[in-house]
Amino acid sequence: MSTMMQPQIILLKEGTDTSQGKAQLVSNINACGAVADVVRTTLGPRGMDKLIHDDKGNTTISNDGATIMKLLDIVHPAAKILVDIAKSQDSEVGDGTTTVVLLAGEFLKEAKPFIEDGVHPQNLIRSYRTASYLAIEKIKELAVSIEGKSLDEKRSLLAKCAATTLSSKLIGGEKEFFASMVVDSVLAIGNDDRLNMIGIKKVPGGTMRDSFLVNGVAFKKTFSYAGFEQQPKKFENPEILLLNIELELKSEKENAEIRLSDPLQYQSIVDAEWNIIYDKLDKCVKSGAKIVLSRLAIGDLGTQYFADRDIFCAGRVAEEDLQRVAAATGGTVQTSVNNVIDEVLGTCEIFEEKQVGNERFNIFSGCPSGQTATIVLRGGADQFIEEAERSLHDAIMIVRRAMKNSTVVAGGGAIDMEISRYLRQHSRTIAGKSQLFINSYAKALEVIPRQLCDNAGFDATDVLNNLRQKHALTSGEGALYGVDINTGGIADSYANFVWEPAVVKINAINAATEAACLILSVDETVKNPKSESAQGEAAAGAMGRGRGGGRGRGMRRR
Amino acid sequence: MALAFDEYGRPFIILREQDQKSRLRGIDAQKSNISAAKAVARILRTSLGPKGMDKMLQSPDGEITITNDGATILEQMDVDNQIGKLMVELSRSQDYEIGDGTTGVVVMAGALLEQAERLLERGIHPIRIAEGFEMASKIAVEHLESVSNKFEFSASNIEPLVQTCMTTLSSKIVNRCKRDLAEIAVKAVMAVADLDRKDVNLDLIKVEGKVGGKLEDTELIYGILVDKDMSHPQMPKQIVDANIAILTCPFEPPKPKTKHKVDIDTVEKFQTLRQQEQKYFDDMVQKCKDVGATLVICQWGFDDEANHLLMHRNLPAVRWVGGVELELIAIATGGRIVPRFQELTPEKLGKAGLVREKSFGTTKDRMLYIEHCANSKAVTIFIRGGNKMMIEETKRSIHDALCVARNLIRNNSIVYGGGSAEISCSLAVEAAADKYPGVEQYAIRAFADALDSVPMALAENSGLQPIETLSAVKSQQTKDKYSWYGVDCNDVGTNDMREQNVFETLIGKQQQLLLATQVVKMILKIDDVISPSEY
Repeated sequence: MSTMMQPQIILLKEGTDTSQGKAQLVSNINACGAVADVVRTTLGPRGMDKLIHDDKGNTTISNDGATIMKLLDIVHPAAKILVDIAKSQDSEVGDGTTTVVLLAGEFLKEAKPFIEDGVHPQNLIRSYRTASYLAIEKIKELAVSIEGKSLDEKRSLLAKCAATTLSSKLIGGEKEFFASMVVDSVLAIGNDDRLNMIGIKKVPGGTMRDSFLVNGVAFKKTFSYAGFEQQPKKFENPEILLLNIELELKSEKENAEIRLSDPLQYQSIVDAEWNIIYDKLDKCVKSGAKIVLSRLAIGDLGTQYFADRDIFCAGRVAEEDLQRVAAATGGTVQTSVNNVIDEVLGTCEIFEEKQVGNERFNIFSGCPSGQTATIVLRGGADQFIEEAERSLHDAIMIVRRAMKNSTVVAGGGAIDMEISRYLRQHSRTIAGKSQLFINSYAKALEVIPRQLCDNAGFDATDVLNNLRQKHALTSGEGALYGVDINTGGIADSYANFVWEPAVVKINAINAATEAACLILSVDETVKNPKSESAQGEAAAGAMGRGRGGGRGRGMRRR
Repeated sequence: MALAFDEYGRPFIILREQDQKSRLRGIDAQKSNISAAKAVARILRTSLGPKGMDKMLQSPDGEITITNDGATILEQMDVDNQIGKLMVELSRSQDYEIGDGTTGVVVMAGALLEQAERLLERGIHPIRIAEGFEMASKIAVEHLESVSNKFEFSASNIEPLVQTCMTTLSSKIVNRCKRDLAEIAVKAVMAVADLDRKDVNLDLIKVEGKVGGKLEDTELIYGILVDKDMSHPQMPKQIVDANIAILTCPFEPPKPKTKHKVDIDTVEKFQTLRQQEQKYFDDMVQKCKDVGATLVICQWGFDDEANHLLMHRNLPAVRWVGGVELELIAIATGGRIVPRFQELTPEKLGKAGLVREKSFGTTKDRMLYIEHCANSKAVTIFIRGGNKMMIEETKRSIHDALCVARNLIRNNSIVYGGGSAEISCSLAVEAAADKYPGVEQYAIRAFADALDSVPMALAENSGLQPIETLSAVKSQQTKDKYSWYGVDCNDVGTNDMREQNVFETLIGKQQQLLLATQVVKMILKIDDVISPSEY
């Protein structure tokens, strides 16, 4: 009898969780939909913010899709893909992170009924790929170039792009103010790729209107020793010496030991040490510099020595600030005080120590090379400033992108509606299943204007019908119409200066389609159980995971 | 919190530890946030105005603070709720930027949220409410600008500044000698101010307190007060026309920083070493004497041998003076801090007209006054009071007054206090509301209502009939078109704030409105709160 029994084939380790087939695909789609729902409400100028606590007690209030996705700490394998595309959108173009997640979620949602009806996912994938290719071609065709305009014109065009990005953020009320600030700072650093040349300093207190742009560098007063207040605090056209050495009285070599046999020599050792530091300080003074900055400490001796000679000094300046000063003033950071020649000294028009809020700031303005800019952000609460910084970062990225690619499209859902119309029209020319799939892809694109309306509390169906009608006009005059967020109707987005760089949309459609296709092509998930050792450290992390397997372990992290 | 379920009703595990997280979204999130913020504002409401009450706060280690200052109360309360924390930061940033009006800003934000809640219940979109508030705050700020007055003052005519500082101090516990304190604060600020650059570095004003005496004994010293005494009890207690050597090197043989060892193998060597050490002391004292110093202030200590020697050579000395104080002394006396005896020169000595040691009451505590300095760019405010809590509260009050004086130097525009500015703004906003089409109109009107809550709270705290008082003042303002009618908190008999000399700085008031609006917008914009469930 025992020979009759088929021995069980054990292929996978015990506890491995596998699920496969159509059910798996559908459940993946559901999970992605749930994640897209989380960020859904943040889209657009009437989008809301999320307040997220993490388990360490930090709080973030944000409107930025990528930030929210990151903080949600998603563990579902399929849903994680959405986090990744939000991240990649963030690093690639800096804005449109909510859009990309939403699009991917919508593509999947449209695919779901087909999957349930038994369509082979590969068919869907192929059609989606074609559709995205067509959509991108269409965007390129519709994009308006801002190349070849004069600087002033370009500036105002870029400011429009920045304003569109900022309108959905917390600082949207002052978008013109910040947009021009962002454009000025981006133009200041030119085509240089060094984004870190734009410094953003956060000072709590004041209102956001009190934020200002320094055409140069600003940083907080560093730790200072006695004597600092006696130094002059304002210079015009000073020479600036940048150092990366300690100006302190200290032992030259850690492991050296001096043996004296004659007590009379004692004084000479003391003198020798003092001479070393005095020699260094003297060389700084001789270089003619009026401002001495060092990445490492400048001790009390140095502070007093410089104060005595009417020189301003600051020690322990942060590395990036020093780099920025170097770039701005045209100086070079020295690692020795020997041979300081005029060429390595930087200069700027005005140096001043100013009170900003509760802090005192060192401000170098009117720098000759002008390749840096510093934005000093003010605001009523720390979280407010944090969010403002994220928003400005988005705006800066957008402006840089727009400068490089110089093509813009109409925002406010206009471009999405237009592509949707185009794809719908195109699909009619195709015979076969693909027609349906491309049609549903086109429908998915409408999610952007729909969500804009939903978030603003408008009747989305009504607005969308109006938009579809406009876009369907054969004359093509309605191609630029999008949602008018102020009245709840529709308006010409392009004429109202709701602009986005074309690259944002292209990237978003590309990434969203890729993600959707990736998720559609998965039909089996195999999850290995955690190994014993890993379980120990991630005990709390594993809680509730593995569908009932690891449940009930009453351990808490905090 | 579970976001999605599969076809068998089991939740997807999408977030890490999602069982332990709770989520609040939509209108519920907004409501719970608003009620948290309102709770914070309610606590501060009774502290507003000249008749406002104080709060007593006990810290975990038993230290007690009694204060009326909004920022301090919130700071010490240790608020745990996230939205509550936003309110704390709100008042802190008013404190950083303006230094005064920290209670008012929170009350204002609370009132705005209360109004917003009503509008939310009517189904108005939160962002539109926030946008309406923003428009209204712009109107109000512009209106304030138009009703503000310029205060002319100069180094000799400080009366206007004193009046404004008195308004600040009148709500504090120290208001019985507000005149004296206001004068002290203004004089201190004027002493350190750079009137051309309109910059005041408050670091140069040292605020020192000592328990004992009475509040009236609080004084302004054009110079520095150090909580130290002469190193030797027999040294002179008073030095006229002192030449001060300010040293950061100790009176002891110098030590090389590099590791060292002196090999002593004979008696002679030991003798020379000893002689050398003595010679060091001798040289140091001699050096100070040579350059003409009559007082030595040293950052470090010196041992009894040096002390004796100094005494013997008739050179008074003070030891263990902190770095910050040393710096202030150097600034005040125009001296330089000298890191090494070899560097001492007569030019580097600081000059002070009078240095004296003063003892207080029956205690043995002594303090060192350095007065009549060459350069009075550093001053000290010396506070006396019955107990430690009183002194701490006086310090905070003085800080507020200093900030007000500083703000006036930066921008000499003022508005009238006693709630008159708010009432005037409320009227202006109310009138402007009708010009706006759309839902925002409601929000703008709500903003006007919220503005009324500040004078209401003032009247309430002063024991007046809030609604009666407010409507009386409002009608008076509308009738006469003057913006200086306010709430008569002190029962003087007139509500003309010009006569009562109740002034506030324009930038302070503007800042309050803008900050409150900003934070309210932030709170309204949140529709989703995701948190670990133990909160």
